[in-house]
Amino acid sequence: MSQGASVPAPALAAYGLAKRFGPVVALAGVDFTVAAGRVLAVLGPNGAGKSTLLRILAGLTRPSAGHVSLGTESGRPGDRRHERGRVGYVGHATFLYPSLSARENLVFAARLYGVADPRARAATLLAEQGLTAIAERAAGSFSRGQAQRLAIARGLVHDPPVVLLDEPFTGLDPTSADRLGAGLRALADSGRAVVLVTHDLAQAAVLGDRALLLVRGRIAFDSGPTRADAGTLAAAWREAAAA
Amino acid sequence: MNVALAILWKDLATEWRGRDRVVAMAVFSFLVVVVLHFALPARDAEEARRLAPGLLWVAYIFAAILGLNRAFALELENEALAGLALAPADRGWIFLGKAAASFVILGAVQAVTAVVFALAFDVDLAAIAPSLAIVVALGSLGICAVGTLLGAVSVRTRYREVMLPLLMLPLLVPVLLAAVDATAGLLETGTLRWRSVQLLLVTDAVFWIVSFTSFEYVLDE
Repeated sequence: MSQGASVPAPALAAYGLAKRFGPVVALAGVDFTVAAGRVLAVLGPNGAGKSTLLRILAGLTRPSAGHVSLGTESGRPGDRRHERGRVGYVGHATFLYPSLSARENLVFAARLYGVADPRARAATLLAEQGLTAIAERAAGSFSRGQAQRLAIARGLVHDPPVVLLDEPFTGLDPTSADRLGAGLRALADSGRAVVLVTHDLAQAAVLGDRALLLVRGRIAFDSGPTRADAGTLAAAWREAAAA
Repeated sequence: MNVALAILWKDLATEWRGRDRVVAMAVFSFLVVVVLHFALPARDAEEARRLAPGLLWVAYIFAAILGLNRAFALELENEALAGLALAPADRGWIFLGKAAASFVILGAVQAVTAVVFALAFDVDLAAIAPSLAIVVALGSLGICAVGTLLGAVSVRTRYREVMLPLLMLPLLVPVLLAAVDATAGLLETGTLRWRSVQLLLVTDAVFWIVSFTSFEYVLDE
């Protein structure tokens, strides 16, 4: 490396994140960074704090301690409104309104995010997710897989540089899961930082450029900048569970 | 502002398709008027005028509580409230959109209730309709501001249906006193009591400003 070469700022950084719900410690000091174009897979057993971590990163939950940084080029770190606009969050729930059509849900979300042409953006996302044919159907009539694809489109409606996904493969058939996996890789390849929470070690190994294992609110294993294979992750999981 | 308009459109569109909120509110306020009609002894016109303002606002506030409770309950499905909270805008605009939608829906129910009330109590509301509409609108602005703010607070509590009226009614005492007094003045003399209207304007302004500015924190988990 040439002297003076600057290290690019991470697209997403978590510093000492902690969260308590009364006496329950959900997160107990979590630090990591994710560079643009990389996928971070966050693994862990139920109750490890994965969803809490993602909700803090999304700006839905305030941490008890620590802070999140979402890029610095704006010069406005800590501006929660600005930071919410840099994140696309696909949670356990779909955030969809059952009585609105798929298109209406996306146009509504686009208007929330101040997208310049909400209808054009909705049409693009419907096409990308293969939902154009059922775009006028009420979202409440969608199958789990269709609703999940629509929820992902909703999360990407403002073209965010950071994408957070909480168990996005839940309820998808193998074809849809493969399609989503390819879509996530494409998101990272297009320069977005992706944080993927999953229980699936194989998915984490295939998709994640880096893997974190979260146990009882702490990082029990970090693969570092290298990709971890499923065997390594399984061994780390067993070791953490036994500890 | 676009966020508020988007939420106003979304709430009215979902209500138009389901009509669950407006029908429940209208039926409930109709039943309240009917119960009050039969519960009170036979009256002459003078007594009806004396009782009418309070009874009308009892029907209005009960309908409002029902509607405001539903306004945020609908956002719990698919965790849509979190979807709103993620918007990169001042969350005060979310409050404004939700409160405006509740105001429109409540206004429609109040218009129907006023007609039923006039028939049931033999009170001539048509003669004072424009002034009464102003008083009702000012009262409803206060109710919708407080109800929307506290609806967002109570919706995540275990006893949300009970919690909203418990939190809301004490705060609405000045609004209800002023609204009832202004309505009484209209029925007695046909003119607006400016002191009551001024109180409504001041309380509305306070409630809307406080609710707008505090909504950022109300939606935090």
